[in-house]
Amino acid sequence: MRFVDEYRDAELGQALAGEILAAVDPGRHYKVMEVCGGHTHSIYKYGVDDLLPANVELVHGPGCPVCVIPMGRVDDGIAIAHDERVILTCFGDMLRVPGSHQTLLEAKAGGADVRMVYSPLDALRIARENPEREVVFFAIGFETTAPSTALTLQRAKREGIRNFSCVCNHVTIVPPLRALLESPDLRLDGFLGPGHVCTVVGARPLRFIPADYGRPVVISGFEPLDILQSILMILRQLSAGRCEVENQYKRVVPDEGNLRALEVMAEVFELRPHFEWRGLGFISQSALRLSDAYADFDAEQRFSTPGVRVADPKACQCGEVLKGVIKPWECKVFGTGCTPEHAIGTCMVSPEGACAAYYNFGRYARQKEAV
Amino acid sequence: MSSDSSGCAGEHCITCGDVAVPMCVLEIDADGTLAICQADSGERETVDVTLVAPVRPADRVLVHAGTAITAQQAVW
Repeated sequence: MRFVDEYRDAELGQALAGEILAAVDPGRHYKVMEVCGGHTHSIYKYGVDDLLPANVELVHGPGCPVCVIPMGRVDDGIAIAHDERVILTCFGDMLRVPGSHQTLLEAKAGGADVRMVYSPLDALRIARENPEREVVFFAIGFETTAPSTALTLQRAKREGIRNFSCVCNHVTIVPPLRALLESPDLRLDGFLGPGHVCTVVGARPLRFIPADYGRPVVISGFEPLDILQSILMILRQLSAGRCEVENQYKRVVPDEGNLRALEVMAEVFELRPHFEWRGLGFISQSALRLSDAYADFDAEQRFSTPGVRVADPKACQCGEVLKGVIKPWECKVFGTGCTPEHAIGTCMVSPEGACAAYYNFGRYARQKEAV
Repeated sequence: MSSDSSGCAGEHCITCGDVAVPMCVLEIDADGTLAICQADSGERETVDVTLVAPVRPADRVLVHAGTAITAQQAVW
């Protein structure tokens, strides 16, 4: 398959693994965080970490939008879904994220009209087809997904569709990265930058990492060779004493990002003063809400919601996993109380979550090692 | 790949992850903002191409959550 097979070539992968081995200092331990859940998924799926020397450790970051949704926001969505006028629409993984009492899927089983959509455009189509109902889109995602929501809201406004609104849970990538870098219990040597977020925002927003914290960043694609090459680029920066933002994913990511997407987002959204991230707590200016020009489409203004902060279950260690402090298998309930079928924590819900990715792929390699 | 047959049920949720799918533009609507696009797997989807307009049939775009976020170039 064009644009895909070239980046999964096993021989090239072995060659890159050899170059990585040659680039490391055997006396040093390297910790590299992959920010994005898509990277985590690829790393486990293709066994990328098996090709790395033992002293190169990959740490899984907070870049899975499902994993960072706090329970209180899920409860808000469920409360709206229980309004009999409402069709609540959301992406597939969001359906299984636990709220304090149930998931959206369980709300659906209990009679709420909850529908999975592939895109905000699908949600708008449902609104057109059901003019007598209120159609609410429960929006999640980083800057990759936010333009899609913004364009759909612009389209709804242009077409005068009044029965469509949005619960905006879009988050931004820079504030949690800064929070992680400020965290005293985390020592990282470099970052694999989120490829598709950077397609929208460009490379510039990540420059604070080398400038303020002295850590290299390589914006990476999602295929196994992309990830291996990006790790090699980080190691080469470290061994040469360089520290900058490099772009491995140039075939997709322009350095300046997508300016039209940024304009659309600036019109439709504004920053929230603060937002709660699961496991990371409240982070200032880390999420988006609808701007005043789009207040009519804000479901949080149109419907009453509990708006209550709900503490994570005590057994759940998603916070430590999201910060890379512990590995998924070190969580007390991993694979026992918490599985993809019956998730306690959000990291086990989405296939991009570190726990689910490891449960689905990585644990087999570990079991083999143990034998 | 429309609403009720979403890829989210599979091993990989391409909407929830920071993942985008390369697609080929087949047809464009009159105002040039929506296009029927086809993935390499053969699945077709209506895609908002506002952010990468103008596009033409046979162009390749990278699609995330129903929106083309970039035109794809084969450079590595």
